[in-house]
Amino acid sequence: MNVKILYLYPDFMSLYGDNGNVRILERRLKDQGFDVEIIKRTITDSAITFDDVDFVYMGSGFESNRNLVAKHLSQFKDGLVKAIDDGVPMLFTGNAYDVLGSSIMTPERDEIRCLGIFDFTVIDQIEKRFTGDVVLADTKKNDVYVGFVNRAGVLKGEGTLEFYVTKVIGSVPLTKDGVRKNNLLGVSLIGPLLLKNHKIAESFVKTICERKGTEYKEIRYPHSEKSHDKTKKALLNAEV
Amino acid sequence: MKIRAFTAILVCKVIRGLAKLMGRGSSLPGKYALKICPDILSELKLPELSIAVTGSNGKTSTVEMIAHILKSNGLKVAYNKEGSNQIEGVVTFLIGDSTMGGKVKSDVVLLEADERYARRVFGYFHPKYFVINNLYRDQMTRNGHPEWIKSIIGDAIYDDMTLILNADDPLVASFGKDREGTIYFGADNLPSDTTTHEGIYNDGKYCPICKKPMEYEYYHYNHIGKFKCTSCGFERHDTDHTLTNMGESDGHAEITVDGKYEIPVFFTGIYHCYNILAAYTASVVAGIAPWKAAESLGGYILKSGRISDFTLGNVEGRLLLSKHENSVSYDRSIDVVVNDKRKKSVMIIVDAISRKYYTSDSSWLWDINFEKFRDADIDKIILAGQYCDDLAVRFDLAGIDSNKVEVFESVQGAADYCKEKLGSFLYVITCFSDKEKILSVVTRREIA
Repeated sequence: MNVKILYLYPDFMSLYGDNGNVRILERRLKDQGFDVEIIKRTITDSAITFDDVDFVYMGSGFESNRNLVAKHLSQFKDGLVKAIDDGVPMLFTGNAYDVLGSSIMTPERDEIRCLGIFDFTVIDQIEKRFTGDVVLADTKKNDVYVGFVNRAGVLKGEGTLEFYVTKVIGSVPLTKDGVRKNNLLGVSLIGPLLLKNHKIAESFVKTICERKGTEYKEIRYPHSEKSHDKTKKALLNAEV
Repeated sequence: MKIRAFTAILVCKVIRGLAKLMGRGSSLPGKYALKICPDILSELKLPELSIAVTGSNGKTSTVEMIAHILKSNGLKVAYNKEGSNQIEGVVTFLIGDSTMGGKVKSDVVLLEADERYARRVFGYFHPKYFVINNLYRDQMTRNGHPEWIKSIIGDAIYDDMTLILNADDPLVASFGKDREGTIYFGADNLPSDTTTHEGIYNDGKYCPICKKPMEYEYYHYNHIGKFKCTSCGFERHDTDHTLTNMGESDGHAEITVDGKYEIPVFFTGIYHCYNILAAYTASVVAGIAPWKAAESLGGYILKSGRISDFTLGNVEGRLLLSKHENSVSYDRSIDVVVNDKRKKSVMIIVDAISRKYYTSDSSWLWDINFEKFRDADIDKIILAGQYCDDLAVRFDLAGIDSNKVEVFESVQGAADYCKEKLGSFLYVITCFSDKEKILSVVTRREIA
């Protein structure tokens, strides 16, 4: 059976090895017996359709690129919103999910209108880069996520944010992070977070299997599990 | 002169003297001087000629080479040779070279400027020439990303400075837009160039100015090459000084600059050649005759320490020093391995990403073109260190035959395996932070 991954802006929002997320998911879906087709759409495309896609991914980029994406993607908002409502699984990592909020304030004090799917705003600055390792608590799923944040700004609108930032090693002035709606997940963690957070990867694969009406096969990925355990241990033990 | 400045100079000199007696060099003296007098840098009287160098890679090498050229040509040069390139280090070496009245005694001040700290340092004094060599993905856990660094360097640029820019790096070259008097250096079309982009990501795909797609006539490596924006017309600038050829024969490597100066070099790694070209350009702009600059460089062997040869039991090997968190440096080491046509093995060690801090961030592994090993004649791939699981997943997805891959938590374990089992030449790719872990268990050999 064929699974379609819509990879948004792979050459424009590709800053922190985010390609790894798509590759990890592709691998896991193939292991489930699917044929995987990756559809790439970018800033120079005049149409982006969300019809018939089984997964949507977007990674981090330069802030200037992200701001252009906010404008570009707005043209296709209706399709995106419909896909979210239909329960299409989606992952937005790093600053990619900023475009789903209501607006971005640039360091030059220009306000960039975003898609407004979630009620938060992003305020960027140029004095200091906010970087650090973080531990996130997902209280609804009773899970813990680990990874790295690399941001130019902060998020305002804690009420809509999903996860509690329970530990920071470095300089990340966030107490909450991430958004979730149906099967869409947005989180500030950069890079291949599906490697270090195998449960998120599993959960996406399960959802895709369910939506495709195929049975989910339990497959273990020991290196991924070990990486999660090692990272979590190191971060929880690290002195701040 | 303010009493505070005088005290700061005094304290700095005393601490520096004491530290030297104890055999230590550090930026501590400058730290104290800054506490006493925060604007001490603006109190110092600098010579007419000052050159600052920044960029993601090769700052130290470039500064060392400029210093060598200037000194060989009779100039007295003050520079931060310990590589202490943040503001405390700059204060330390400048006061070290100044009189009690704050007058810097050397003819030239040469400054290795950290990309992130240049805006602080240049708030107090402006170097006459500012060399920017390259901007790429490097230590992003600290640096954010190249465009972030570009805006921070932009804050350090003032109208009275003359920029010396790498014409082949679009992000760097964009500093020269609408800036008259800018000096450019770059490479002509070289035999090793490609017409298509190689690598996992392409930071030259879109114009740094208008963000529309760019086209390349050729690439030297990564996004370094002859570019042109399809929309706003931003394009590679003509160069004032040029790497016109690069060649290697009978084990002797040589580069040609400006079509006529042949400079023997220890190895022809392309980004090393850019450092040489940057040093040559800066020296010529600073008033050294081109033939003299070239001659000085010819006699200079860079103490890079980038390559170490060793034996491990019956296995012969070579360590290629790279930088963790820097995919460009890894890509260049991978090129060395795949260009060696023998059957060979490769060990990748990622045990401590930095000596200075812990981070879980291994995202940079996904920016490295490990896929190149897929089509090369590789015997075994040995993945070692704390981050071996991250490496294992990365190599699995690079499409490399899993029977070739061995994974070890410890470097010792990996070394023992090689000693007992390996029957091929071994390349080791790792960083400063991890190199001693392998070098301490092998027998070093001198490079011929």
